[in-house]
Amino acid sequence: METNNVNEKLLAMQKAQGPLLEVKDLKVDFTTDDKRAVHAVRDSSFSVYPGQWVAIVGESGSGKSTSAMAVLGLLPGTGKVVGGSIKLDGQEISGLKPKEFDKLRGTKMGLVPQDPMSNLNPVYRIGTQVKEALKANGMDVAHEKRSALAKALAGDEVAVKTNDDETFIGSAELPALLDAAKDALAKIGVTGDRADEFMKAFKDEWVPGSETRWRVADDLIKAGVKDDDAWVIAKKYVTGSTLNDRIAGLLSEAGLPDAATRARQYPHEFSGGMRQRALIAIGLACRPELLIADEPTSALDVTVQKKILDHLHYLTDSLGTAVLFITHDLGLAAERAQHIVVMYKGQVVESGPSLEVLQHPQHPYTKRLVAAAPSLASQRIISAHQRGENADALLEHHIVGEDKLEKSENIITVEHLTKEFKLPRKKEMFKAVDDVSFSVKRGSTLAIVGESGSGKSTVANMVLKLLEPTAGTVTYEGKDISGFKGKELLDFRRHVQPVFQNPYGSLDPMYSIYRSIEEPLRIHKIGDTKSRQKRVRELLDMVEMPESVMTRYPNELSGGQRQRIAIARAMALNPDVIVCDEAVSALDVLVQDQVLHLLNDLQAEQGLSYLFITHDLAVVRQIADEVVVMQHGKLVEHATTDEVFAHPKMQYTKDLLDAIPGGKLQLGLD
Amino acid sequence: MGKYLLRRILQMIPVVLGATLLVYALVFALPGDPVKAMFGDKPVNEAVAAQIRAEYNLDKPFIIQYLLFLKNALTLDFGNTFAGQPVIDEIARAFPVTIRLGIMAFCFEAIFGIIFGIISGLNKGKWYDTVILLISLLLISVPTFVTGFAGQYFLGVEWSIIPVTAGSDPGFFDLLFPAMVLGSVSMAYIIRLARSEISSNIAEDYVRTARAKGMSNGSVMVRHVLRNSLIPVVTYLGQDLGALMGGAMISEQIFNIHGVGFLTYQSILKGEGNLVVSIVTLLLLIFVICNLLVDLLYAALDPRIRYA
Repeated sequence: METNNVNEKLLAMQKAQGPLLEVKDLKVDFTTDDKRAVHAVRDSSFSVYPGQWVAIVGESGSGKSTSAMAVLGLLPGTGKVVGGSIKLDGQEISGLKPKEFDKLRGTKMGLVPQDPMSNLNPVYRIGTQVKEALKANGMDVAHEKRSALAKALAGDEVAVKTNDDETFIGSAELPALLDAAKDALAKIGVTGDRADEFMKAFKDEWVPGSETRWRVADDLIKAGVKDDDAWVIAKKYVTGSTLNDRIAGLLSEAGLPDAATRARQYPHEFSGGMRQRALIAIGLACRPELLIADEPTSALDVTVQKKILDHLHYLTDSLGTAVLFITHDLGLAAERAQHIVVMYKGQVVESGPSLEVLQHPQHPYTKRLVAAAPSLASQRIISAHQRGENADALLEHHIVGEDKLEKSENIITVEHLTKEFKLPRKKEMFKAVDDVSFSVKRGSTLAIVGESGSGKSTVANMVLKLLEPTAGTVTYEGKDISGFKGKELLDFRRHVQPVFQNPYGSLDPMYSIYRSIEEPLRIHKIGDTKSRQKRVRELLDMVEMPESVMTRYPNELSGGQRQRIAIARAMALNPDVIVCDEAVSALDVLVQDQVLHLLNDLQAEQGLSYLFITHDLAVVRQIADEVVVMQHGKLVEHATTDEVFAHPKMQYTKDLLDAIPGGKLQLGLD
Repeated sequence: MGKYLLRRILQMIPVVLGATLLVYALVFALPGDPVKAMFGDKPVNEAVAAQIRAEYNLDKPFIIQYLLFLKNALTLDFGNTFAGQPVIDEIARAFPVTIRLGIMAFCFEAIFGIIFGIISGLNKGKWYDTVILLISLLLISVPTFVTGFAGQYFLGVEWSIIPVTAGSDPGFFDLLFPAMVLGSVSMAYIIRLARSEISSNIAEDYVRTARAKGMSNGSVMVRHVLRNSLIPVVTYLGQDLGALMGGAMISEQIFNIHGVGFLTYQSILKGEGNLVVSIVTLLLLIFVICNLLVDLLYAALDPRIRYA
């Protein structure tokens, strides 16, 4: 109850100041080539109060990103605000000229974009790109001036600090500052271990270019130094930093370790998570009052996602920045934001306090979202065996299949599988996969879980015989696949089919859908033109796609539709095993849910076995019977799905479970 | 980096050897006897002919001729022409002209190609974008000798705006139109390259990020759109520099410019093996070195590219 009171008080405080951003009846249109208007956003209204996190939730194409870009004045292509109003701090901004918008962006509104891979210019150093943000808003000049002024007044009584004119520690003065702090501690009688403890804390806290004068003084006072002495030290040694210090300070605030060195590196030398941290530093560089975070972590691994969002939360809280958080994951939204706005087909269909929306969804679409959100579903149990009808069918199929053919229980067995790669300019080999053993039971699903780089995709490629293992064996139906050649290999390929992560890349853009699905039949010389046509129709029906798509091309289909086509293609040859390498990771939650159900139903009907590679444990719970957890190429845990979720043994597995967004939310189950 | 450079330079050796052998063989296989041709309409004096053949090693088998040429070339002695001039002198006379022509053509295609490319790329779909595209398509599809002859006839002969021919010691204005003809096709390619690069880069996410930082439109264009778009343009230009020298043959022939192309053509007609091979080797070296420089420039412009 007490937390509720605190929240209410906070909300009342935020509301008292009036909204920071007020969007009313916003209408955004795009113009097609033949001059028709497409209404991307229709009569949408929402507000963001100072310091508040507001989430806009919806599937792709729902207008959530478009609304956010309209606020920033960065609508792509032919997009145009055709009605309604956008007020920032009470000022109408929807009709502003581009030049006037330039002044608002950066200082009033910042952006953390979706895809860290494409949002940094590959030809400039990270530091340069942060500097651009400071320069564009005159913060660099202000910064140098302020530092010079502070230096001139060092030790003087005049306070330079006003509201946003902060004075930061400079890297040149840091050693002297630390010495002075040590002396001050000695003066009040703090020595030995306790002094070392304080000094260590100071060293961690006092980041050049980020920590301000008054916080240094505050730290010293908290350590027991007298107020006056603390301020004398702070004023004498915290005299402003150089621009490079400031850049490093911003990057380290965003959670980038060793920021001064990192600032001199190029984007391609950074991982996705590090790039996203750099983008957060850029978005917050000029201390905007509103930060628009457009799916800031959906391109990242779940564990990295959690770390980055935690950090962003901490940072915006301490700076008092309001955040407009755009996501397709309702669980994530509910966990992070105080207020949720649900958008569907360009309209706001529901909005309210997070838990309320989650527990009592009113609009049918919101109800579907709640049901489909993987992060929320993971709290319920939807494993194949326990799903009423399907489980029965599956079990029956099991028995029928095994009795008739008397085959072994395991369709694929992997033993002591190891794969080494040679790294450029390094002598020692890199072990991508290290002594991994497991088996896939006939008609069941085994999921391999791990972060990117854990070697799970390498295992998949070896099972598919697309990569040769350095050591160990993969057996299919009791036969070692390493010896497969010619006809035997073709036969193996026919029975073990892949579905890959990226439905955009795994279909040939020059092939019609019909040709894509028919191709495996043609290669394996199955049937004639007529029977193939019939089979393609059947397959399309199986994945619930209309026949009319046969003549269309991949670029005319959505991601989910393409993935269905990829599944239909994999099913064309009646395989026994399908290897799904992150087959649903790139899809929207609703589409993901549909595809998972499709896979489940196909398994029940056809007795398929799946090897399911994913980084998302939430998905695992929906589809897998057994789970193998991989870390750094090694198998660290292997158990049934329920066992892993109920009693994870390894810390790493626990971390992965913790990283599921919304995992700790209590749903009022109805 | 040093290792990479050394490897690239060592790679040039087989390229040069192979190319010279090939060109030497082609000249050797040319129909007709160059020595007999020297006598013109007069009867051939067999004794004199034999003496000339011996002097120029023409009496020896092909491979010996080639090796002798190589041996001399290593000491920078490229032999004499049939007229008795040292080959090196002929080349020294012709090269400056072609270099002047090539540099003028290069500047023409670089400046106008980039300017029109930028105009087109930033204004995709406007009427002048369409006009620029049509002109560039025309320049690409019409062979240079057609553009050259047509320009020479109309601008030179009919309207007397430009000199009809350049002659042996051409000045800036004599070479202006031939240089434009020489650079026209590449200019058209550069326009199209710059246009497509700019129009695709403008839609890049990092450009939007730059705008979100609050940068003005001008600096976003210069720092993010143009900077990134010019990388492939600059590499194309670098490779073209080498190709221009060799490609000058047609313009030089049309406008009677006594440069390398003109000299090569004449010496092929006369069967001057030493001269042809020497010129081709030199052009080849220029081409290979330009390529190497382009690769190094590419690494300097794009930090993602590193050679080891």
